[in-house]
Amino acid sequence: MIDALRYEWLRITTIRSTYWISGITLVFCVGLSFLVAMASSFAFDSEGAPAIDEITFLAPALATQFASLQGPYIVAYIATIIAVFAWGHEYRHGMIRATLTAQGSRVTVWVAKYLVVAGWCLALVVTAYLLSSLVSWLWLQDDGLALVSDEWFEQFGRTVYYSLIFVWIAAAATSILRNQTAALVAVYLWPLAIEPLIRLMLFAIPNTEQPEKLARYLPFNAGDRVIRNSEAGRALDAFLGGEQISTEVGFVVFTGFAALAMAVSLVLFTRRDA
Amino acid sequence: MSRMAVIQARGLGKSYGGKPAVTDLSFDVHPGSVTGFLGPNGAGKSTTMRLMLGLDNGAGTTTFDGKPFIALDHPMRHVGALLEAKPFHPTRKARNHLRMLAAANRIPVSRVDEVLEQLGLTPVSKKKPKTFSLGMGQRLGLAAALLGDPHTLILDEPANGLDPQGIQWMRELLKGLAASGRSVLVSSHLLSEMALMADHLVVIGRGKLIASGPIEDFIKGASKNSVIVRSPQVTDLAELLHRKGLTVTVLEPGTISVAGIEAAAVGDLAFESSIRIHELSNQQATLEEAFLEATGFAEEFQAHQLGEGGQQ
Repeated sequence: MIDALRYEWLRITTIRSTYWISGITLVFCVGLSFLVAMASSFAFDSEGAPAIDEITFLAPALATQFASLQGPYIVAYIATIIAVFAWGHEYRHGMIRATLTAQGSRVTVWVAKYLVVAGWCLALVVTAYLLSSLVSWLWLQDDGLALVSDEWFEQFGRTVYYSLIFVWIAAAATSILRNQTAALVAVYLWPLAIEPLIRLMLFAIPNTEQPEKLARYLPFNAGDRVIRNSEAGRALDAFLGGEQISTEVGFVVFTGFAALAMAVSLVLFTRRDA
Repeated sequence: MSRMAVIQARGLGKSYGGKPAVTDLSFDVHPGSVTGFLGPNGAGKSTTMRLMLGLDNGAGTTTFDGKPFIALDHPMRHVGALLEAKPFHPTRKARNHLRMLAAANRIPVSRVDEVLEQLGLTPVSKKKPKTFSLGMGQRLGLAAALLGDPHTLILDEPANGLDPQGIQWMRELLKGLAASGRSVLVSSHLLSEMALMADHLVVIGRGKLIASGPIEDFIKGASKNSVIVRSPQVTDLAELLHRKGLTVTVLEPGTISVAGIEAAAVGDLAFESSIRIHELSNQQATLEEAFLEATGFAEEFQAHQLGEGGQQ
C-alpha cells in the first residue's frame, strides 16, 4: 500500500495542472474573501460598527466564500478538477495500463488514488479556509471579528467533510465514466443545474407537496445541508426552497450517495478491461 | 535480475460482443530466447498480451515462473511490459515518469538514471514527452519496461516508429537481454526484423494458435522450401522425380524446382540414373513466405485488388 501511495503522490505532484489548479483556487478564493472583508471594513467605518450578530455570521461566510450561507463552495468545485484528473489522465493518456503493470493489485491502486487525491484536496481546502479567515480577520478585527470561534470551528469541520465527500464523488464519477471531459461536465452540471431543474419540475406539479419534498433528498441538495451552518444560511434556504432536511439527514444522504458511487467505481474498476 | 522464468500461457480466451478474439491459446516462452509473436492484423496479439498481464478479463491463465502477474510482488522487478505506443502523460517529464514507476516497485532512483542512459534518453530526461517523436516515445516505453531489470519482457510492436538505426539497436538490445537469460516475447509486423531477432515463434491467426516452436522449424515447414535443379537432361529427371511422387515445377527451360526432397537425395537419384546435373541448390522459404502461407486464411481484414476503374 505504501508503494501505491508513493506512486500516486509522485503522479499527482509531477504534473503542472495540480499546481496551477491549486494556485488558482487559493488566489481566487482568498482574494474574494480579502476583497469582501475590505469592503465590509470600509462600510463599517462609514456606517458604524456592526452588531455582534452581524459579525458572527460573517466569519464562517468569509472563510467559505459564502457557501455557509448560499451558493456553491468554490474551493471544493475547483479541487474536484484534481480528483477528475487523477482518474481522467489514466484513460485519456493511456496511462492505466502502465499503472496496472507497475502495480498488480487493482484494489490497492483504487484505494491509493482516493487517499492521495483526498489528502491533496483537503490540504487545499484547509489552506483556503485558514487564509481566507486570516485575511478577513486582518480587515475586520477592529470591528469585533474573532479569528476563531465555536461557529468557525463547526464550519471548518463541515467544510472539510463536505469537500472530502464532493472530491470522492468526482473521483468516482470519473472512474465510472472513464472520460474526464464527461466527468467534469457531470460533476459541475449535476449539482448546479440538473438538481435545481429537477426540484423546479417537481415543484411545478400542482396540488401535491410530496414530489417536491422528495427532491430535498437529492444528493447535492443534501450536501448543501452539510456545509450550510449559520442561522442566516438556513433562513435563506427556507426562503428560497422551503423547508429543508436537517443537517443529520443531509449528512447521511450525501455520504450514502458518495459511498454508493465509490462502490460502483470499485466494482467496475476491478472487473473492467484496462 | 532475479532468476530465469518460463512464461506459460494456458487456454487464453477472450470475446468481444460474442465474437471470439482469442480462443484456447496456449504456448510457452523460454528463458534465454527471443520469442516472436506473429499474426496478421486483428489476429489477437495485443489482446493476448493484455490477457497475460491481467489487464483484460478472459479465460485461461498465464504464469511467470509459476505465478500469475497479479500475484507478483513489485511486478516491474519480474515482468517488463511495453503495450502502448506512448504510454505516458504528455507533460510529465521523462525522468519523473520513470521515478513514479520506480516508486511503486521500490526501485532506486539511480536505476532511473541508468536506464535513461542505456536508452539514450539522458539528454531529454527533463523534457516533456509531448515533444517526443514516436521513436523517442518507444524508447521511453522500453526504459520503463527495463526499469526493474526484469527476467521477462513482453513487448508489443516495440519497433514502431524506430528508424533503421533504432531498429538495429533494439534488435541487439533484445538479443543481449535474451542471451543474459531473460524471457523475451515480442510482437512485430516487421518479419525481416523478426527473422534476424527471434529464436522461437508463436504464430496466431484469428485468435488461434497456428504454430509454435523454433523459427527454423517454422520456415522448414513451408511448402516453398524446394530444390532447384539445372540439367541438360531435365525432362528425364522430371519424369524420374514424378515417378517418385514428387512435385516438379519447370522454372525455365533446363531448370526445375522440386518440393519435398533434399538436394542430396535429388543428386543421388540423378547419379543412379546417369543424369547430368549442372546446378543443384536448396531454396529455403523466407519467414515472410512461411508466415503468409501459414496465415493465408487467418487474416481478419483482407484487402482485395481493385478492378478497372476502381471497381471490384
